[in-house]
Amino acid sequence: MSSHGNASSANDPRQPSAAKPYVAPVVAPQDMPIDYAGFIAVVFGIGGVMFRYKLSSWLALIFCAQSLANMRNMENDLKQVMMAMM
Amino acid sequence: MANPSFSSPSFFYLFSLLFLLLIHFSRSALVHAESHFEGFEAEDDEFDDQSIDPTSLRSPPLTQSEPHTTKLTPSDPKTPDSDPNPSSNSDSQSSDSDLPKTSPTTTTTTTTTFDFWDEDEFEGLPDEQPAPEINNTAGDSKSADNSSDPVVSAKAENVKGSRSFTIEIVCGSFLIMFAINYFTGKRENENLALAWAAQFATKNSIFEKNFSLLGIGEGGDDAPLLLKEGQTVFKFYASGRRYCQGLLATMELKSRHDLISRMYNLIVPTRDEISFEVYMNDEAMDHVVFAMAKKKAAKAMQKDVRDLQRFANLVSPPTGRKWVAEELAVISESKEVASDLITETVLEQVFGDKAFDKFGKGFISMHFSDQHPGIHKKVLLFKFVLPSAKNMADMTRLVALVPYYIDLIGRYKLSSQARSKTEAARQKAAQEAQKELQNARQEALQRKKAERRKMIEEAEAKLSAEAIRKKEAKDRARQMKKAMPRVKVSRGA
Repeated sequence: MSSHGNASSANDPRQPSAAKPYVAPVVAPQDMPIDYAGFIAVVFGIGGVMFRYKLSSWLALIFCAQSLANMRNMENDLKQVMMAMM
Repeated sequence: MANPSFSSPSFFYLFSLLFLLLIHFSRSALVHAESHFEGFEAEDDEFDDQSIDPTSLRSPPLTQSEPHTTKLTPSDPKTPDSDPNPSSNSDSQSSDSDLPKTSPTTTTTTTTTFDFWDEDEFEGLPDEQPAPEINNTAGDSKSADNSSDPVVSAKAENVKGSRSFTIEIVCGSFLIMFAINYFTGKRENENLALAWAAQFATKNSIFEKNFSLLGIGEGGDDAPLLLKEGQTVFKFYASGRRYCQGLLATMELKSRHDLISRMYNLIVPTRDEISFEVYMNDEAMDHVVFAMAKKKAAKAMQKDVRDLQRFANLVSPPTGRKWVAEELAVISESKEVASDLITETVLEQVFGDKAFDKFGKGFISMHFSDQHPGIHKKVLLFKFVLPSAKNMADMTRLVALVPYYIDLIGRYKLSSQARSKTEAARQKAAQEAQKELQNARQEALQRKKAERRKMIEEAEAKLSAEAIRKKEAKDRARQMKKAMPRVKVSRGA
């Protein structure tokens, strides 16, 4: 795309005056992607406690780790992490 | 939580297990972890000891049992450990295995008293506490007694130990792998995003030449270029260019940091994608609804995307003109727009037959609209596949499409004929939207009214209920009054 690249560099398309800083869009909590891994972890955790089934508890731990790994920046709350680890 | 199956309901089974564990405690390293339960059970045992005097257990060895049962009893402890799960018949087994535990307490060194024990008498009786405490020596003495047995039983113990730990080993190693993969995958994703930024957003690159503000910061040279949102999403923002307010590039990478989705992606492969959203200035974009994608995807887009569905149709390739490569399909409001937006340069550079084979691999879709739902109405959307970090230069031509189309559309003016058509369509759409809005508003109003009515009714119902209750109370009081004198009379008499 060299032809138009040259053309645009001849008359600079940049307009510093029109620059707007980035504004992060506000996302409502209910619009967040669903944390499936966390949900599965809870299900397995309850299963593990109710039926005293070892494997279930381990799976809960693994999915808990997955949910932790997939956590987004904005919800990265220390308190939440602590609760999840409990 | 780690070993929930061990707190099984069968007390006897537990106790016999504990005994076995303690026998082999000094020998096998595997049993080490299980010894945690020692203290846990001892509590239970003490509780039972208070109810039953241990000395009373020692008196019975008067009745004689068959001599061959002695051979059975030492081998018995093996049977429960071959089967780690508490089963229904384990009760009888465990009661058998209880025997050797009680015997060492009566005679710590002489194991001969064994012969005079009647197992039946001790069925259902809890064991004594002191047994496990002495049993280190007791177990040894027993093993010395029958020399061939302990080897077998120790083997069985090892088998049992390794089997009960398989889950732990597998899950633990999976967790470790998960953690390692988290860090390596995270770095991989970051490297990919940084490679992209280095290719297209540093000095003398495409975006640096076209936008005055790069990155999410307030400007300045060392402002961060990329915004990391989660482990797989990276955003790049640019602004300060003619015809547009800003550009937001969102990289959605594979979940490399997540071992589970990584395994899932082996079955359902995904790609690293980057999508550009260009927010055009309101006055800079005419009535344009246009999209281009691979044929299948284009059909799906025409069905699913609202503005395309409402305003645009699939455009058949015109005769007597060079057109896009065969895999591609164009959706547009009118033929005029389509042919104006697909220029010779674009065909030559990317979308023509020959060029597309070479450079079009990473192309997913392109979608321009002045009726985009959302805050920004006039938006250009581009979607490409990200190549690997080493071959980032492969998508240079695709990225160059972005500023090219910003300029093209910024300058583009529809012919008056097409414009009147599109205007009519937009007015119609606007009217429909307004109608919908009105309907929704009316509905909301009606709902509110109904709610209020319901509230009033409820309040009335409550009031009437209260009135009835009051009346009832009054009636009762009156009747009580009537009944009172008779009681008094009877009392007086």
